[in-house]
Parts: sequence; structure tokens; C-alpha cells
Amino acid sequence: MSGEANGLTIDLDATLDRGHVGEVGVPAGPELLAFTNAVELGGDIDGTRAAVAGVIGEEATIEAAAIVAIFNGLVRVADGTGIQLDAGVFAASIDERQRLGIDAYAGAANSLGVAATSDEPDARTVVDLFR
Amino acid sequence: MNAIETTHAHVAANVAAAGDWLTGHDRVAAWREARDAETNETDRARRSAISPNAVPGHATPTIEVVHRVASDPGRLTRTWADEQIAALGEETYTELVGVTAIASVLDTFDRAMGRPEPTIPEPIDGEPARVRPDDVGDVGAWVSQTTGPTRANVSRTLSLVPETNRLWRQLVDTFYSRGTEFMNLSWDFPLSRPQAELIAARTTALNECFY
Repeated sequence: MSGEANGLTIDLDATLDRGHVGEVGVPAGPELLAFTNAVELGGDIDGTRAAVAGVIGEEATIEAAAIVAIFNGLVRVADGTGIQLDAGVFAASIDERQRLGIDAYAGAANSLGVAATSDEPDARTVVDLFR
Repeated sequence: MNAIETTHAHVAANVAAAGDWLTGHDRVAAWREARDAETNETDRARRSAISPNAVPGHATPTIEVVHRVASDPGRLTRTWADEQIAALGEETYTELVGVTAIASVLDTFDRAMGRPEPTIPEPIDGEPARVRPDDVGDVGAWVSQTTGPTRANVSRTLSLVPETNRLWRQLVDTFYSRGTEFMNLSWDFPLSRPQAELIAARTTALNECFY
């Protein structure tokens, strides 16, 4: 994530732990995670959305709903077209993918042939977005 | 109405028009099937099965593609996709993936905002463009995509179907990337960049998306 650029130390393990809705190092993180889980897994959408709005305001809440929504599309175009992980990201995320169990996802098979070179233009920039 | 709401309404109206290889009627039907996948018994059974192959698929490749992409995208495989592409052609397959993704975005946004399920628009008459771009080829994905330089593979997923891709990119740009602001890790929007990436990471993890 973009934590470092904003002076934040983010707990990536907790972020990716579907059962965790507590602090992760992002302002309003618990409310945003509870809202995301409610939309994705079924739950109190109205209540969690109201909690988000109470912390970050109505306009930011609409943007939060938009992010949940667009990533429902992004995962579908990525997995539906079988794209490979970009080479630079592939190389730079090896340790984190293994530690977080992401390599066990079915979609990992699509990237088995990726040449793990980390010297592609913009590779670091793209990876840094997720730190 | 803000940009997100405006774009949502614009894309919802235009996805009902003829696209690249599908008519408006086909695309509206695909949206209905994508919505049905949320409660469809076959899809529920497949999602809960240890292997999706343990549950027989849907009756036609078109319905199979829409329902699988809508309901269980994290467990799609190249073998499955190759079977559907052999039956449909890679252009139609890709357009169905795109329409399903667009439908998922539109319906998820409405659900997240607590709105009642909106009526799917009536199909708009017209003929598909039926244009295969010249600059597509094998870049390692399951379907042909643009072969030129790209910042990230996810940005060319639907490049084989430009009409569908145009709507899709409008959604992505308005809902998330914000044009050149995407490279600004400290953007000045009501939802901060770390907050946006937090939601993105959790949503991606819940869908078990490797990319």
C-alpha cells in the first residue's frame, strides 16, 4: 500500500486476514474493513457504511463504496483473462506472496512463466503502491 | 451528482447498447445472468465445493462464462477458459468477461450504497462493431491483448474488445485511478490513498485474486 509515502506503518498481514476488522495502521481502517467485509461477504452494509461516514464523511464514503465496487471488476477482468503478474512486481513480491499465502491462489498458475526480472521501467513504482 | 454517480449512470445506460461482438440484447442478458449468479444454486454449490470441477457447469458456454466469472473468479483455470474460448471465440469470451465485470462493479456499488437493486436497462438496438484491433497478440494471457508497452498488464485486459474496454476504462478512471493522480501516493481526495488501497487489498484478498 501507499503507507510509506503517507508516513504510515501498515500491517499487511492483518489487512489480508479476512477475519480481522481491527487496527491496521490506516486512519478509519477498522470501519473501512468492516464495511468492505459486509459488502463482500454479506452483513450489515447500512450499519458499517454509517460507521464509515461518521469517521470520514459522506463524500469519502461514496469513494469507499466505489473502490469496493471497482475492485470487484478488476479481479474479474484479471482472473477472467488470465493475465500474468508483471515481471517487476513478480520479482519484488516473492517473499510477501509466500508469507501471505498468495502463491496458493489458483491464479498463481498464470504467472509461472513470468521472467522474474525486476529492472523493468516503473516496476518499483508499481510495487511501492502496495507498500 | 458527483463524477462517480455520473459515470455509474452513463456506463449502466451504455452497456445495454451493442458492443464489439455482442448485441445490446446479448449484453443485457449477460448482466441479468451475472446478477443471477449471486443466488444461483449451481454457483452456490460450485463455490462451496473443494474443486469447482466437482459441480457440472451451466448449459451453454455463454452462461457458463458469465456465471463463473461472476461467482468464482479466483478459481478459474486456463483449461476451463480454453474450453469456453474454443466454443465462443476469444473476442466474444473477452467481451463476456468485460460485461460481467462491469455489471459486478455497477451492482456492487449500488449494494454498497444501500440502494435497492436497480432495474437493468432495456437493450438498445444496433449492430456490434465487430472490429478486431490490429495491435493485439499473445502477451502471455489467455486471450490476445495489445502488444505495445504498458505500465501494467491489468491495464490491457480488455484491449481485444475496444468498445467494451472504453466503458470499462471510464469506470476504472473515475472509481479508482483518477488519470495521472494514480501515480500520486498522497492524492488529495476525501478518501486518502492508503484508505483506498486498504479497501482494494481486502477486496482482492476476499476474492483470492493473485494479480
